[in-house]
Amino acid sequence: MPLIGALPQPITSAPLVLFVYLVLILLLGSALASVLVRNMLYGIGAFAASMVLVALLYLAIAPFLLVAVQLLVFTTVSAALLFGLLRATTGLRTSSVGRLSPEWIVGAAVCAVMFALFAVVLGATGWPVQACCAVPDSLGAALGNTYAVGLAVLAVIIGSAALGSGFLLMAPTLPSPRGGGSMSSRSPRGGGTRPVNR
Amino acid sequence: MSAGLNLLLVASAALFSIGALGVVARRSAVVMLLGTQFMFVAGALAFVSFARFGLGALHGTAGATMALFAGAIAVAELAVGLALAALVYREHRSFALDADRG
Repeated sequence: MPLIGALPQPITSAPLVLFVYLVLILLLGSALASVLVRNMLYGIGAFAASMVLVALLYLAIAPFLLVAVQLLVFTTVSAALLFGLLRATTGLRTSSVGRLSPEWIVGAAVCAVMFALFAVVLGATGWPVQACCAVPDSLGAALGNTYAVGLAVLAVIIGSAALGSGFLLMAPTLPSPRGGGSMSSRSPRGGGTRPVNR
Repeated sequence: MSAGLNLLLVASAALFSIGALGVVARRSAVVMLLGTQFMFVAGALAFVSFARFGLGALHGTAGATMALFAGAIAVAELAVGLALAALVYREHRSFALDADRG
C-alpha cells in the first residue's frame, strides 16, 4: 500500500480555470493598488477588495467554512479596524451625499442584485465549489477535535491583542488628539503643509 | 489550460512580494500594516494550495486550518498595529514612522 496516493489533479474545468485566473489577476492588481496608492481611503478600499477576492479564490480551492470566515470575519474586521483608525485620526468625513439620495439607492440595489445572483448561482448549482471536485468538508470537526489546543491558544492571542490595543489607545501619558484634522498637517517647522500619506 | 499548485504558488509569491514592497518602500504605518496583512494572506494561500493540490492533500483540512489560524493572527496583529499607529498619529500628526526625524 503506497504511503501517498495519487496526486490531486489540477483544476481543468474551463469556466473554473477562467474564474481562478480572473480572480488572481484582480487580486494582485488590487493588492498593488492598495500598497501604492497615495490616498489612504482608497488604499483601504483596495485592501478590502483584495480580502474579498481572496475569499472568492478560496471558494474554488478550499472548504466553504474558510470562505465564510475569510469573507465575513477577516475582511469585515480588518476593514472596520482600518476605517475606525481613519475616523479617529485624520477624520473620515461623512459623505456629502444624503442617505436617501438616488446614488445610495442605486448602489444598494446593484449590490443586492449582485448578492442575490451570487446566492442563487451558488445555491442552485454549487458552482464553483462542487465543480472543483473533492474538497474535504470536515474542517469544523478537525478544528474542534484535532486542533483544540491551537484554538485555545488562538483565543488567548486574540484576547491579549484586544486587551493590548485597548490599553495602548487609553494610554494616559500621551497627548490627546487635537481634534479632527484633514489629510494634510502643518509641518513642525512652520513651513507649509505636508501630506500625511507617504 | 489548467490551474494547479504552480499557478497558486506563483500568485502567493507575488502577493508576498507586494506586501514586502509595502513594508519596505512606504513610510506610512498603515500601509506597512496592510503590507504585513498581504504577507499573511500569501502564506495562508500557500498553505491552502498545498493542502488542495500538493502531496499533503491526504490531510486536506490541515491547510485550511492553518489559513484560519494565520488569518486570526493577522487580525490580532492588525489590531495592535493600528493602536500603535494611532499613538504615532497623536504624537506627530502623521502616520509616517520617521516623522520625528529632522
